[in-house]
Amino acid sequence: MTAIIATKNLSKRYGNYAAVDDVSFSVHKGEVIGFVGLNGAGKSTTINMLLGFQHPSGGEVELFGERVTLPNAHHSHRRIGFATGDMSLFDGMTGAQYLRFVARSYGVSTNTELFKSLVTRFDPQLDKKLNTLSRGNKQKIALISAFMTEPELIILDEPSSGLDPLMQQHFIELVREASENGATIFMSSHYLNEVTDVCTRILLIKNGKLVKDIPTSDLETQAGKLVRVMTKERVTAPRAAEMVEAHKQTEGYVLEFIYKEKAIRLQEWLGTLPHLLDVTITDHSAEAAFEDLYQEEESENV
Amino acid sequence: MFNLFFKTLRDKRYFILGWAIGIGFLGFVMTSFFPSFSGGQIDGLLDSLPPALQGLVGDLQDWKELPGYIGSQVFDIRLPIFISILSILLAIGLTVGEEDKGQLRTLIALPVSRRKIILAKWFSIVIICFVASLAPIIGVEVGLLTIGESVDQMVLVRLGLFTWLLVTALASLIFAIGLSTGKRAITTGVAIILAIGSFLLSTFAQAVDWLEPYEKLSFFHYFPAVEIAHGTVEWGNAVFYGVVILVSLFIALLFFPRRDVKSV
Repeated sequence: MTAIIATKNLSKRYGNYAAVDDVSFSVHKGEVIGFVGLNGAGKSTTINMLLGFQHPSGGEVELFGERVTLPNAHHSHRRIGFATGDMSLFDGMTGAQYLRFVARSYGVSTNTELFKSLVTRFDPQLDKKLNTLSRGNKQKIALISAFMTEPELIILDEPSSGLDPLMQQHFIELVREASENGATIFMSSHYLNEVTDVCTRILLIKNGKLVKDIPTSDLETQAGKLVRVMTKERVTAPRAAEMVEAHKQTEGYVLEFIYKEKAIRLQEWLGTLPHLLDVTITDHSAEAAFEDLYQEEESENV
Repeated sequence: MFNLFFKTLRDKRYFILGWAIGIGFLGFVMTSFFPSFSGGQIDGLLDSLPPALQGLVGDLQDWKELPGYIGSQVFDIRLPIFISILSILLAIGLTVGEEDKGQLRTLIALPVSRRKIILAKWFSIVIICFVASLAPIIGVEVGLLTIGESVDQMVLVRLGLFTWLLVTALASLIFAIGLSTGKRAITTGVAIILAIGSFLLSTFAQAVDWLEPYEKLSFFHYFPAVEIAHGTVEWGNAVFYGVVILVSLFIALLFFPRRDVKSV
């Protein structure tokens, strides 16, 4: 099956600085990809190369099986919806005029059920000039423009950064529905709940390099248990413990860690603890696991 | 492409209106002053001006008859200044201005080729320049009606067409630099040097001997408005502007589709 997106050894250099360094991945039909990383990791630069805004210094991008070059990038744009969190819309237009302009460029009408449902869902201010709208309201219009053409591929760069929590929820539902209808979605985001809620796969980029390519389901199963024990005396965590934190409280010593090994080993370790005062074992959520992943990257950067 | 073409014209509607009114008013005011200058009563005053300043007001003989007066006082000296400013603002606004705001990237994200974006914007420039060239003609016509004078319509047609060529050529050149480089500093710098340099060269070459050989470097050298008003049209001048327009368009079509577009 031809990949919807395929990058091979994709690189972008500015002098000696590598914004994107030898990144290779494929995205197949129906996948919802969360493209994550710290600020400056290379997410937007990668997206710019996917869409033909910037040419790669090395490697290549293929969309729908066709190699993307700057002059031919528009070929695939008809099949792509695109929005960013800071999308520059055309100031002199109203929201309605902008959306009609975009629809005409795609050769579609705004008089469709999908368009009406998007307007109902986001309730944007369509009659006001875009330069008078707040960031969140502009963002709603950008998102409608990305989804209204029923694209096969939707590329989103921090798409919900200006939205309030309610609109963010609407956005997550919209992504889910588009995915159910067969669209492929590639989105960068800083919102962990967004990524773990809707994405089927997570690509983590760090310093321009792709360092993790992991299905979200694996993240959930690999998340393990969050163990919290309180003892009268200081104890050391089991060998398999991760993300260990220890501190003293008035009642005793508290030890917290993530445990991903077999439960029996944890039970054995608990049995060895002297003067155990309290123990709680909960599921470590995928969202929390993802947060740990982020923190790992951040601490390595310091 | 037509979608973008009409969008650009719509975006620039107040720009066009403002400039058309301004330039039209210039044509009207200068024409309505003609009776005050044609009588010869200020000859003595003008004769007393130093040669360098006479370069700024034109040849006195041209003031005595209407075509020469319109050619020199509306089209030869004042209009190029306004036209230059219009060209710079228009071309920079449509290129690096939109790119710096991130709007060019939004356009490129649409299923429209970069070449079509160039052509749509360039056609808009041509139309806006046409309106800007028509405005002084209308202003002059209204001025002539006000003072009860008339002039051969072909004089105004020739002057209008050459003005259109001049402004389109200048705007196309700046447009090409803006789209090809994407750099505001370079585009603005070249545009200002070109416009001010041309204006200074054309104005002072008549009085400053050492400047005379360089006068041909002026962009306005190829727009001898007084001669055009008197019926002498050198087609080589029209060809010069035509070549500038076509080469500029070619450069934009060659380089813009191959360069990175800035993100905000």
